Amino acid sequence: MADEKDIISLSGVSFSYLSDDGEGKETATRAVDGVSLKIERGSYVAVTGSNGSGKSTLAKLINLLETPDTGKIVIWGRDSAESGNFWDIRRSCACVFQNPDNQIVGTIVEEDTAFGPENLGIPNPELRERVDRALKDTGLYDLREREAASLSGGQKQKLAIAGALAMQPEILILDEATAMLDPVCRDEFLELVEHMREEKKLTLITITHDMAEAARCDRIIVMNKGKIAIDGTPSEVFSSGKLGACGLKQPENFALCYQMAMICGEEILPSDLESEDILIQRIIKMIPRMVSAYIPDIEEQEQETKDEVIMSIKDLSYSYDGKTKAISGINLDVRKGEVLGIAGASGCGKTTLISHLNAIIRPQTGDIEIMTKDGVLRCSDKKDIAKIRKSVGLVFQYPEYQLFEETVYKDIAYGLKKMKIPENEQKARIMEAASRVGLPEDVLGKSPFELSGGQKRRVAIAGVLVMRPEILVLDEPASGLDPHGRDEMFALIADLRKSGTTVILVSHNMDEAARNCDRVCAIKDGRIVKTAPPNEFFINEDDVSAAGLDIPVLTKFSGRLKEAISSELPAVEFGKPEFDSYKEAASIVRSVREGVKGNA
Amino acid sequence: MLENISIGRYYKADSLLHRTDPRVKTILYIIYLAAIFMISTPAAVIALTAVTVVQLFMGKIKPGVLWTTVKPILPLAIFILIINVLTIRQGETVFEWQIIKITDTGIYRAALMSLRLLFLIVSTSVLLTLTTTPLKISDALEKLGAPLKVIKVPVHEMAMMMSIALRFIPTLVAETDKIMKAQVSRGADYDTGTFINRVKGYITVLIPLFVSSFKRAEELAVAMDARCYRGGEGRTKLNPLKMTSTDILTGLFLGLCAVLLVVIDLSLR
Repeated sequence: MADEKDIISLSGVSFSYLSDDGEGKETATRAVDGVSLKIERGSYVAVTGSNGSGKSTLAKLINLLETPDTGKIVIWGRDSAESGNFWDIRRSCACVFQNPDNQIVGTIVEEDTAFGPENLGIPNPELRERVDRALKDTGLYDLREREAASLSGGQKQKLAIAGALAMQPEILILDEATAMLDPVCRDEFLELVEHMREEKKLTLITITHDMAEAARCDRIIVMNKGKIAIDGTPSEVFSSGKLGACGLKQPENFALCYQMAMICGEEILPSDLESEDILIQRIIKMIPRMVSAYIPDIEEQEQETKDEVIMSIKDLSYSYDGKTKAISGINLDVRKGEVLGIAGASGCGKTTLISHLNAIIRPQTGDIEIMTKDGVLRCSDKKDIAKIRKSVGLVFQYPEYQLFEETVYKDIAYGLKKMKIPENEQKARIMEAASRVGLPEDVLGKSPFELSGGQKRRVAIAGVLVMRPEILVLDEPASGLDPHGRDEMFALIADLRKSGTTVILVSHNMDEAARNCDRVCAIKDGRIVKTAPPNEFFINEDDVSAAGLDIPVLTKFSGRLKEAISSELPAVEFGKPEFDSYKEAASIVRSVREGVKGNA
Repeated sequence: MLENISIGRYYKADSLLHRTDPRVKTILYIIYLAAIFMISTPAAVIALTAVTVVQLFMGKIKPGVLWTTVKPILPLAIFILIINVLTIRQGETVFEWQIIKITDTGIYRAALMSLRLLFLIVSTSVLLTLTTTPLKISDALEKLGAPLKVIKVPVHEMAMMMSIALRFIPTLVAETDKIMKAQVSRGADYDTGTFINRVKGYITVLIPLFVSSFKRAEELAVAMDARCYRGGEGRTKLNPLKMTSTDILTGLFLGLCAVLLVVIDLSLR
């Protein structure tokens, strides 16, 4: 056991948030409930759990941003309850939070970086050295005189890291710091932090509900309802079988192997999850079992998407400043009843494109034709705009920030009032929209601001669905939600598709895009690179990365697995990739079985 | 929709005015504020325009940047112009039709008022916001206001509040734009309809903006706490203010210009 001086120790820590119910009565919500744990110096720990599991509160307790109701927190041998230790602990522990905009204090990059050490009273020239060092470490040195507001989201989070490093902390806590970043920025950010951890010997604690991120750590602590549910190495945690009960999911590559093992009636041990190679070897050993495995037929509910075009984007280009084009020469037909995914890195023009779809931005060159029930509407035609806004619903990212009414009911009704739908018809439509997004009836009378984040988002979506759009455009509808919330969001989209609504879905997460879309359209630098069904789109890794996208985690791992199987059994021919871990597992097992039979 | 508003925005450049000590600029700003409201003769207005042009060159501010700061205020300036032209009835009548009566004094005073407003915006931008980062402005106010600490005025806190307010202007403008687009896609219309209806329409923007601003404020407070902020006591500065002889000369030069303006004005009355 390590020395007391090298341990963060929580024993029996509880914490409750007090909330006023408006009538003077205070209710306590227990966020952290009798947690005891020890974290050793230099370790890399993920604290994970669904929304409301208490994981963020735990981080705030370690940094003394909250004081525990009961229990004891001792950091590096210093008891946090002794007032003399307060500032020593806090200065040794830096935090990076979720929203990039809400943690920048200084206007200029270097001013912001200096904010922490200035508070510590570090004199010049040391202060200047610390700031320059931190900016060089994070790769922001060349931007040091830039306005912080003009940085991209990824750069802003790096600035937050620079501000933390300038304080020369011993512990770095990332409180969902990557939740608002796209995958490319997220990987870059994590690599930077991991590099800093090694170089500066930091203890790194990351709060996240992204399982791929948690898998990078040495240890995962899973929180559920304020208590520690699972605590162990990633392999132990992912093989524990308790993740689902905590509202979490295995990373896709592990999920595939578990499905295959289940089909074969085998078991995967924690030691098998040490690395992908070991895992692939373990699966190879299952091949004899695959031959005799029983695979229940998947009921193929292949919904025929008609070839009928509902929206036709014709040679659309747009420029904000008259010089650089945000999008250029976009030609795209959207088919009736399909889920069309739009993917691309941040700043590729996705938002500009979707803002055109219901004429929030009017076309400069080119046009969009929408073939609705009441005839063809054109975005270039001013007379059609009101009708277009009715037929094409647009839900922006984080739509919960647009709610404003006193009650959920009134907020959903807003669009109807604007469209002058008669009162008597309004109620039926509102109830329909609320039930489609899964809002219980008793919520309708509440203020939208009392609801949880996930429910607020449903209200916002209902506010668009209530107009009964034929086409629904969703910009990253699942961002910020935990794994369970994401699944629910995609179930909602599947429901909409079933009811005949055409859905256009902007997504960063390629696993989800591949699983939920009929076709995926990749945009890079304002141009369409490729549009194809997922099982054609994600076949060639070079094509996909040329479009600035990642291969889905599942497909990537499955590709390696298939290669390994092929080198054992050259006769096996694999079908097109599937993007659901169970379907892909079944498809691989079936191919192996057929390949072996064909040989015999 | 709102991406071109730049009131309160810093414009990065390397110029004499950018380098000038913010305390000097703050004092100059106060002097010019007084001068703008004192002058009333055409000659003084022309002289003020000339001095402002000199300031623009000293701050290396491009016409396009200046335009983005003036543009949002133009409707108000025109509104003031029209109201005053129609309501001031002294002087000789230039034009009369039914109840409308326009006089030469009316035109002159109305023009003067609108021009004062424009000069106010331009001076604020050129001397302060465009050429000085918010943190420097608040540093300057903190230093200049230091004597007030004796009578328990929370100078540091006020300066910090102001710098944060300025730092969040671009963020809030972007957010307003986002909310407006979202409401427009639900059928809101901010461009047509009666004046009252349009003002009412803005409630759909203001409420979400308020709610999210409170959330931002809360999160920012936590972030500042985590970065060990505990008031002005014992803080150091990355770039402490340093007064150089160039700063003093710049201050004297522009200060004298303002005094001269007022003298010209008074002598011509």
